[in-house]
Amino acid sequence: MSFWDVNVTLMKGLVVSVELFFLTLLFAIPLGLVICLGSMNGWRPLRFLAGRGRSGGARAVCGALGSFMPVRAVCRLVVWIIRGTPLMLQILVVYFGPGLMFHWPLLPRFTAALLTFVINYACYFSEIYRGGIQAIPRGQYEAGQVLGMTRAQTFFHVILLQLIKNVVPPMGNELITLVKDTALVRVISVYELIWMGESFIRKGFIWPLFYTGVFYLAFSGLLTLLLGWFEKKLSYFRA
Amino acid sequence: MPILEVQNIHKRFGRTEVLKGIDFSLEQGQVLSIIGSSGSGKTTLLRCITQLEQADRGRIIVSGRTVFDAGEALTLTKEEKRQRQLTFGMVFQSFHLFPQYNVLENVTLATRLHARELPDFSARKAEILSEIDREARELIASVGLSEKLKNYPCELSGGQQQRVAIARALAMKPQILCFDEPTSALDPELTGEVLSVIKSLANRHMTMIIVTHEMRFAREVSDQVLFMDGGHIRARGTPEEIFLHPEDPRLRDFLGSFQDRGL
Repeated sequence: MSFWDVNVTLMKGLVVSVELFFLTLLFAIPLGLVICLGSMNGWRPLRFLAGRGRSGGARAVCGALGSFMPVRAVCRLVVWIIRGTPLMLQILVVYFGPGLMFHWPLLPRFTAALLTFVINYACYFSEIYRGGIQAIPRGQYEAGQVLGMTRAQTFFHVILLQLIKNVVPPMGNELITLVKDTALVRVISVYELIWMGESFIRKGFIWPLFYTGVFYLAFSGLLTLLLGWFEKKLSYFRA
Repeated sequence: MPILEVQNIHKRFGRTEVLKGIDFSLEQGQVLSIIGSSGSGKTTLLRCITQLEQADRGRIIVSGRTVFDAGEALTLTKEEKRQRQLTFGMVFQSFHLFPQYNVLENVTLATRLHARELPDFSARKAEILSEIDREARELIASVGLSEKLKNYPCELSGGQQQRVAIARALAMKPQILCFDEPTSALDPELTGEVLSVIKSLANRHMTMIIVTHEMRFAREVSDQVLFMDGGHIRARGTPEEIFLHPEDPRLRDFLGSFQDRGL
């Protein structure tokens, strides 16, 4: 077994980890927004964007949602449960739970892991978005309004970039955490980086497991550079 | 015929009745100042006029056209409300410039977005946009900030930001320009530059409503002054009547509190 062989094997694990990382982001970023909107239901500037005074059916729907506080209660309950329990436990529950409770067939392991990660991270993201939205002064919405901009124009031309600027630093934190959290899916034997590292123990080598740390460092290092660059791009204004 | 008629405006927030029936009118090209202590309802009145708040009762008529009627407010479409809102320009106490845009972009953003709705926009795009750009540069020059076209709001002083905000409001060509305590968020040495811009607008007969705590300025610039107290208009008149011969005791107390501080 050469150093080269170890690298090739660990690379295979890294690919799975990276895949999990990007797929989680792909689904959790929009889902987080949905949960965020749900848990901010009834908040005044949001109501403004969601469109009071729309015509006909849209208005009825918005009106119904606006007064339907259970949406908010459910969203906040879910966020509490997900943030309040260990991610590892959630992985086990999603993978084994449906089979044990309803005798459903097991999900493929990677799918179960991905599903757990998407739900978990969407909840964290939703809180970050909420902070980002609430940090934007109401005057920004009002300035758009008195200048005769539509709600959509106000959102896309005024609010969005400030929102992105507000959420980049806390999102960066979460992304770095996500890199390392991918190691947890080893608990249901998804063959990611740590699992691959551990596989060498059977052959009598412990160092490849320790060596996986270098891979995580490289990945999170790259990510840090990318985030730093993006933050700098947005540093020309103060929100 | 007055350009603006405000009739019987009432507004309550929860159990607090903030405006208890406000009536006044304003002639084309006149400047109206609204004075009064904090909590008297001045700002709420201004926000009802500019339709940032919806009055519970009352009507607002501009040039003979109803722009707000509490009775029909709920039946209006978003689009109708938006068009009516454009009758008024608004300058806020804390500016509310768009931080991610430079001075020129702040002034042109809304006009550019509006131009898209013109029927011949796609045919005359370049021409329309260059016209908007030219007008914006003129407005920025008129508030004395031609040097700062490409600067971002965070690089400007409070006084400069407020002057940009005035140019931005003027770019929409409002019939009536409203100011909500335009100098209250500024350091004392910066109020002068903003007030002189407002004065120059008055000299050019812009119709304006100004909520202010700057008594000397109100006296110099106004044609008409309203003194508000507890949600009512307690006194109204020319600057001479209000500042030199105040009859109402509450008004006298209020003005006295400024004289005590040498303002």
